[in-house]
Amino acid sequence: MKYTDAVALVKKYEIEFAEGSIVKNVDEALRVAKYPVALKVMSDEILHKSDRGCVKLNIKDGESLRRAYPELLSNAGGARVDGILVQRMAKPGLELIVGGRRDEQFGPVILFGLGGVFVEVFKDVSLRVCPIDKSDALEMIKEMRAYPLLTGARGRKPVDIEAIANLLQKASKLLYENEQISEMDINPVIAYEDGYCAVDVRVLP
Amino acid sequence: MNIDVLFNPDSVAIIGASRDPGKIGHVLLRNFIEGGFRGCIYPINPKCDEILGLKCYLSVKNIKENVDLAVIAIPAQLVPDALKECGEKGVKGAIVISGGFSEVGNVELENRLREICLSYNIACLGPNCMGVINPLTRVDSVFIPTYKMGRPKLGAVSFISQSGAIGGAVLDLMARQGFGMSKFVSYGNGAVLDETDLLRYMADDEKTRIIVLYLEGVRRGREFFEVLKGVTKRKPVVVLKGGKTAGGAVATKSHTGSLAGNAAVYEAVFKQCKATEARNLDEIFNFSKLFESQPFCSGERVGIITNGGGLAVIAADSVEDNELKLAELSNASRKKISEKVPDYVNVKNPLDLSGDAGTDRFEIAVQAMLEDSNVDAILVGVLFQTESIDSRVVSMLVEASNLKKKPMVVVCPGGEYAEVHSRILENCGVPTYTSSASAIRALRKLVDYSRFVNKK
Repeated sequence: MKYTDAVALVKKYEIEFAEGSIVKNVDEALRVAKYPVALKVMSDEILHKSDRGCVKLNIKDGESLRRAYPELLSNAGGARVDGILVQRMAKPGLELIVGGRRDEQFGPVILFGLGGVFVEVFKDVSLRVCPIDKSDALEMIKEMRAYPLLTGARGRKPVDIEAIANLLQKASKLLYENEQISEMDINPVIAYEDGYCAVDVRVLP
Repeated sequence: MNIDVLFNPDSVAIIGASRDPGKIGHVLLRNFIEGGFRGCIYPINPKCDEILGLKCYLSVKNIKENVDLAVIAIPAQLVPDALKECGEKGVKGAIVISGGFSEVGNVELENRLREICLSYNIACLGPNCMGVINPLTRVDSVFIPTYKMGRPKLGAVSFISQSGAIGGAVLDLMARQGFGMSKFVSYGNGAVLDETDLLRYMADDEKTRIIVLYLEGVRRGREFFEVLKGVTKRKPVVVLKGGKTAGGAVATKSHTGSLAGNAAVYEAVFKQCKATEARNLDEIFNFSKLFESQPFCSGERVGIITNGGGLAVIAADSVEDNELKLAELSNASRKKISEKVPDYVNVKNPLDLSGDAGTDRFEIAVQAMLEDSNVDAILVGVLFQTESIDSRVVSMLVEASNLKKKPMVVVCPGGEYAEVHSRILENCGVPTYTSSASAIRALRKLVDYSRFVNKK
């Protein structure tokens, strides 16, 4: 599914998503940018954008944007590029992943985990069959080994558990009501003391 | 469909009954007769007049009386016709022991079997299954002679098993451990009745208080999920999923796809449905004997009583490992214990009564902790190796456990002497373990389920 359609879908389910617009050239990019911004290559042919250098984060001004833009395009190589996403940088916070998959037996399942090494190395995730209620969502969050990081371990600020539980319920509803989705990643979701912001989404039909 | 007739029939026809002691059809008939089945038994075999003293029939249709249940052990290709005759006769239930269907690629034959059962409304188990044991009505279609596989005594646990082999091993272990069973059912290929139907039946069955489920896969995932979720609100379900690693690798493109593999989804389903997942056969026993015999737990604070410091320490570690809490004894119970035990016993939790403790000292501690509202569950670790411990401790523990005031588990590590006493405790309904790790892990599961039940 095209990025713009995926974004529209998550927004339809009232999931908070980072603002951004897709541009076709540098001038357009300069016009829409509200710094700091992230630039991301939009292409159906590139699955893992950051692995291929197709994401530039934390661009602070027009000059840096001008430099980064052609570099991104060249990193995309021969891939067909639909445009460049200029997205307002989300404030730093705790990175989470919310995902889903259609299981052959049980239908849509929702996944929750911490971003970065937690999901990659420790596979610290929790799953439930959709749809989930609030107590399921809270259990999913509490089940994580990394749960203390969410409640503010070692001087960290706690994150908004209520808002994340709410996000999980919305994502589960989305998965449950859209049978055509085989896989979905909302990754990363940045969680704050107050609310959260989803930064990227991928939906596979 | 009348599933109940599989467990409680008034009459049974053994189709494929045989005179040859080496044949399944012989063992089946013998088990019904010698097992003491209370209804009428009709052997069916066109080549015999009489087997084991019973009149033999050409077909079920030649029997004048009603036939509730047919147990079928004949070559696969003959099964559809036999079922058809059952249908015409008005037989309500069938257990198809015979193999040679979808498990060997014979899907078409299995489809025919299903169609016949559906058109005559026959509640059918199998094909390729062991069928049913009900210690109450003495239905026993498990075609293993009793000298090879013991039969459990009557109890409250019902066991649904996809696999016959696992089922057989569990039955034998249950019998050996004195474990009480309400019903056993192995459904094999599940052509007509599958895990979801049987789960639903056991949920409604008043004689079943605990359901144990062995699965390798499910057929109707969504329905299974909904049914399981409903069942656990009424009684505990202990589930073991086999083959968790095999189908685990799902070819996917997203993070979620690779992380939400088959095994992980099953685990999620069990958690979400509040079923208690066992990781192996031992845990099936460890968990279900606790659920079966003990009251629900009011909290997570554990009191530990032993006659050996080392065992107390290990048990306390297990409590931590399983994220339970060590109870803080009330002043009243500390006083009560201190007054009656020697000065060198340090009265705290975990409570080490010291190596010279006898039954009386254990009794003082157990009674105090049963009364203490700071203690939600009790672990009693008995080292039978010490001089002052003998069989008297067993009857004290049985009496205390029978009060059913709060969950109590006993840990008796050791050899022959300890084992003999463990077995008596078990037979008297006191859940007994060889290690505190397995006892506390089981207790953790009871705490979790109790919390769910108490919340409702």
